[in-house]
Amino acid sequence: MNLGAFLIRRLWQMIPTLLGVVLLVFFLFNWVGGDPAYILAGKMANPDDIANIRHQLGIDRPLWEQLLIFVQQIVTGDFGNSWATQEPVSAIFRTRLGPSLILLIPMMLLETAVAVAVALAVSAWRGSTLDRSLMAVSTVMMSISLLVYIIVGQYVFAYLLGWFPVKGWSDEFWRNLTTYAVLPVLLGLMVSIAPSVRLYRTFVLDEIGQDYVRTARAKGLSETRVLLVHVLRNAAIPIVTNVLMGLPALLTGAFLLERFFAIPGIGREIILAVERSDFPIIKAATVYVAMATMLANLLGDLLYHWLDPRVHLE
Amino acid sequence: MAQPNASPGLWTLAWRRLKRDRVGMVSLAVVVAYLCVVFLALGGWIAKDWTREVGVNYAPPVFFPDDQDETAIPLGKSVALPDQVDLYGLQDPLARQLEAIRARHPDDARSTPERRQLTLPLGGDKWGHDVLTKVIKGSETSILVGLIAAILATVLGTVMGAVSGYFGRWVDDFFNWLYGVFTSIPYLLLIFAIAAVLQQKGVSTIILILGLTGWTGVFRLVRAEYLKHKSREYVLAAGAMGASHARRMFIHILPNTSHVILVQLSQNVVGFIKSEVILSFLGFGVPVDVVSWGSMLNEAQNELILGKWWQLAAAGTAMAILVTAFSLLTDALRDALDPKLKY
Amino acid sequence: MPGMINHMGRLLFILVLAVPLAGFAAAPEKVLHLALSAAETGFDPVMTSDLNTASIEQQLFESLLTYDYLARPARLVPRLAADMPTVTDHGRTWVFRLKHGVYFAPDPVFKGARREAVAQDVIYTLMRFMDPKNRSPYKFLVEGKIIGLDELAEAARRSGHFDYDAKIPGLEALDRYTLRVRLKTTDYNFAHAMAQPMYGIVAREVIEAYAGDTASHPVGTGPYHLARWVRSARMVLERNPYFRHETWNFEPGDDPDNRRIAALMRGKTIPQIDRIDIQVIEEPQSVWLSFGKGELDMVGLAGQFAPLALQGDHLRPKYAARGIRLDRISDPSIAYYFINQQDPVLGGMSPEKIALRRAIFMAQNDEEMIRVIDKGQAIRNAYPIPAGVAGADPGYRSVLDYNPELANRLLDQTGYARGPDGYRRMPDGSPLAVRYTSSLSSQDRELDEMMKKALDRLSIRFESEKLKFPEILKAERQCHVQIRLSAWIADYPDGDNFMQLWYGPHTHENNASCYQDPQWDRLYERTLTVPDSPERNALYHQLARMLELKGVTKVSTTHIRNVLSQPWVLGFKPHPILPSVWAYLDIDTARAPRE
Repeated sequence: MNLGAFLIRRLWQMIPTLLGVVLLVFFLFNWVGGDPAYILAGKMANPDDIANIRHQLGIDRPLWEQLLIFVQQIVTGDFGNSWATQEPVSAIFRTRLGPSLILLIPMMLLETAVAVAVALAVSAWRGSTLDRSLMAVSTVMMSISLLVYIIVGQYVFAYLLGWFPVKGWSDEFWRNLTTYAVLPVLLGLMVSIAPSVRLYRTFVLDEIGQDYVRTARAKGLSETRVLLVHVLRNAAIPIVTNVLMGLPALLTGAFLLERFFAIPGIGREIILAVERSDFPIIKAATVYVAMATMLANLLGDLLYHWLDPRVHLE
Repeated sequence: MAQPNASPGLWTLAWRRLKRDRVGMVSLAVVVAYLCVVFLALGGWIAKDWTREVGVNYAPPVFFPDDQDETAIPLGKSVALPDQVDLYGLQDPLARQLEAIRARHPDDARSTPERRQLTLPLGGDKWGHDVLTKVIKGSETSILVGLIAAILATVLGTVMGAVSGYFGRWVDDFFNWLYGVFTSIPYLLLIFAIAAVLQQKGVSTIILILGLTGWTGVFRLVRAEYLKHKSREYVLAAGAMGASHARRMFIHILPNTSHVILVQLSQNVVGFIKSEVILSFLGFGVPVDVVSWGSMLNEAQNELILGKWWQLAAAGTAMAILVTAFSLLTDALRDALDPKLKY
Repeated sequence: MPGMINHMGRLLFILVLAVPLAGFAAAPEKVLHLALSAAETGFDPVMTSDLNTASIEQQLFESLLTYDYLARPARLVPRLAADMPTVTDHGRTWVFRLKHGVYFAPDPVFKGARREAVAQDVIYTLMRFMDPKNRSPYKFLVEGKIIGLDELAEAARRSGHFDYDAKIPGLEALDRYTLRVRLKTTDYNFAHAMAQPMYGIVAREVIEAYAGDTASHPVGTGPYHLARWVRSARMVLERNPYFRHETWNFEPGDDPDNRRIAALMRGKTIPQIDRIDIQVIEEPQSVWLSFGKGELDMVGLAGQFAPLALQGDHLRPKYAARGIRLDRISDPSIAYYFINQQDPVLGGMSPEKIALRRAIFMAQNDEEMIRVIDKGQAIRNAYPIPAGVAGADPGYRSVLDYNPELANRLLDQTGYARGPDGYRRMPDGSPLAVRYTSSLSSQDRELDEMMKKALDRLSIRFESEKLKFPEILKAERQCHVQIRLSAWIADYPDGDNFMQLWYGPHTHENNASCYQDPQWDRLYERTLTVPDSPERNALYHQLARMLELKGVTKVSTTHIRNVLSQPWVLGFKPHPILPSVWAYLDIDTARAPRE
């Protein structure tokens, strides 16, 4: 199948998925998502005030009308203003994306680098004590809850030892990256490295079993060269796609770190929006993340094809 | 029989391979030990009365008696009775009832102060519950939640994956669409939404949340397996001999994919036990008359900086040991079940 | 034109000073680092109602009146007004005279000109509260009070457009700086309304220029302006360059602590601190550790962390040695259990229903709650009006104190027999369960445990209803909640702000117990016609007792507010009513850590 047709088909397939996402979220949150009017009206509000607010927010209209507005918002990309603070939703996500990425990109890069290095190392010495003990350590590491890592890590490394600030965020990119993001990133790595090591180890071992590796060895190439050049090049394909496809989930998944370290990221914003029944933000978050997920998947497939033309696009 | 169904051989072989794996066997022993604890707690033989307040508030562990500055609880404070205070000229609507009670119990009964332990084996929580008992009872809840939710997710994923992969065409399109929808929604929002639909009705809510959000991984793998197997000779042969679709799907193909499913199941147990902690953090944890590792860790969240580290340590360690053992067992199972993997 | 002269004079003063100062190193910037426990909700005062937001608005905007920083109990003093209003006609006509030379903070809307705040701005500000478009949570302070204003609101509801140019008899600018407010009925609390931070004065052209996004363009006359805002994460306030010259000259009286503060602060220009850097930090562990490391200058010590810093009522020696200060006051707030009087299971005025409710209240162990949950940072207070609020009675004795024996006997007496499962049943033999409503937070989980223990004492089955906070409000307003522990903090220090919580016509508003009792309502209405006096207190006593005897509510505790401040924070005294006092503080830059 040629690339253009593939792209069009995949993009076309996204529409029903997105529609499903939209419908599911819309009905779940409209059905049970709470009525923000009561909190906006304040502590002395009477039923008239509530009705007035419901009218202004448009939640007194029939469901289908609200759904239509939602679809319209998705098409135009304008989700209106937050119900809680009147700030445009787009502005909220614009300001939240930066901190989330400052946290997530270093985490992703470090995670991949370390995990690949360890995976190569344990594969080179597979079955040895090193392999077994590294795997055991990584298993133990990922068995401890992130919540425990954060509580203990913040207490010990930031407070008792004073190596990092306890919490915070500034306006300067470098300061955030080199001061505020360090401890959260390291704590996040504690739980995320181990699964990657385990996964990448299987990717690497898959490659080592291939014929070309035997050929390369037969040609007398050094084991290091075989691993670093031949094996890694091929194992990189599933690794890169794996990293890429994991990104959108990370965007919302870091809420524990964001809350404890007071980082103005997207995950924390979503929790706040749910607490306040701030529907415009919930809707926008769902649509943005769903689109990011689908695009990441598509990109992953394309990358796969590009790195390894043997893989057929279907 | 033209069917090269190697299941019995596969399982026997797998067990033989597993027995040779020392790490695998140790993990298995640990997991079995935990399951015994769950069983005993479930039957009410141990940790039945975890709600009893046996110690003083935050009783320290016996091996670490610290400088107590919380004093024991003063009990039996005197309280005012309705006829001992100024009613400001109002009539007590219960005057008659209170009069009758007074006539029957002229002595004003006072509860006797309870005796409470100053230290407990693994310390006490803020109410004086024994942390050891709580960890045991918590193991029961957390492991059961993990197991049942994993079974739910695996069954859902397997059935959908089987149907999707076997029938293909529009059925496959439909389930793929569903899979796409569930994996595209931010997980956090999916949890909030499902939790809101289910309301808070106890432990079953958590199981449903985990089960309904966790089937996607199983689905993807099982579907791939069925795609592979449905055109294999043995399936075609079974079809030629008149076996129904359901029979072909679940009697013929399923055993050949069972190793994939088992490994997924085991992975899900681990994942769900960990997720329960996060659900508790978000407020969707177990109800107050139930204790789980998640509820303990969340309670202990603020205790560490107060110097009351024992609940955090106890629940965290109990969970870490089980999850480690379960993960290693999963690896061992995978190695034992997949003969292709020679490493 | 005294304002003009004053202005010119100050300009000269600045010019003269600027020359020699330029040669020296700039004085170190004074920055105050604070944390908010929950996200703010935007800075259009007409639309906000939470304390966190109010604490910031208090610094950005100025209301006509405010409360004296040091005087206790809280005393009203002028803020934007030049002096206290003249009240005539039995509290129905109020004349406010404004200060001259009060300017709004600079904003592009003013096109570089200085914009003075005048009486017309006050009228516009008050009108905004009744504009249906603004859906103001604090409009209850003016609703139904000012002659002509409600009619204007009604017209706006019909036409969809609020006529801000209308002249109404209730709000008149007698001249540029004089405002006359005429009320429909006697209201002794109107002055308190005019001291709320939400009633800070705004400029019409600013509101209209930023229509739709007024929340992110706060332009007021306060000592600070909002220099930077990262929504629900960070707010930076900086000195308002146009703030008038004001000096710190609060009267300390005889209180030694006040005298210490006055000695540090008297004569200084307000504000002393250049910048206030506020971060939203939800997790209490993060807040506390930040303070411990000196990253925050002041924190409110949450009850659960009290043992960390306090030993009994005092600061632990290791913190005292670092020079950290502890200030504690009892909050003008109450935590109270209420039972929905319209509930099919618990409601009703038959003796057995009253007995059931009173038994449930008597099974609540307040002392245990104070000890275990509040970690000692609360006091048992059974009276609906807390200390520091006009009408309070610290000596009040409750009939609903913790007494599980009596509670059980009362249930035995009124026919709630135990069934075969050990749990009590209704007198008619049908099953009995009590549903307690609370939010998803971990603090509320502790309250669930308390309620479960209380009901266990009575052998009554416990059910839990977990809702998000907006849902709880909704259920309360619709009278669907069975029982809940709620809290109320004073908007203004008068007992009426508390007693109205049980007023029948406030059902579906904030009378969450949905209590509608003509006898109680008549008594309550009488309190409105009397100012704070022994006569009113006698009525309040009857009201409070009736709530207990009929099993409507049990007032449980009043929280203690503990504020810790770093040694370099000068002049702090917690205020029971003002949401923030940052403009009255100073920082000792010699001791403060450098950025």
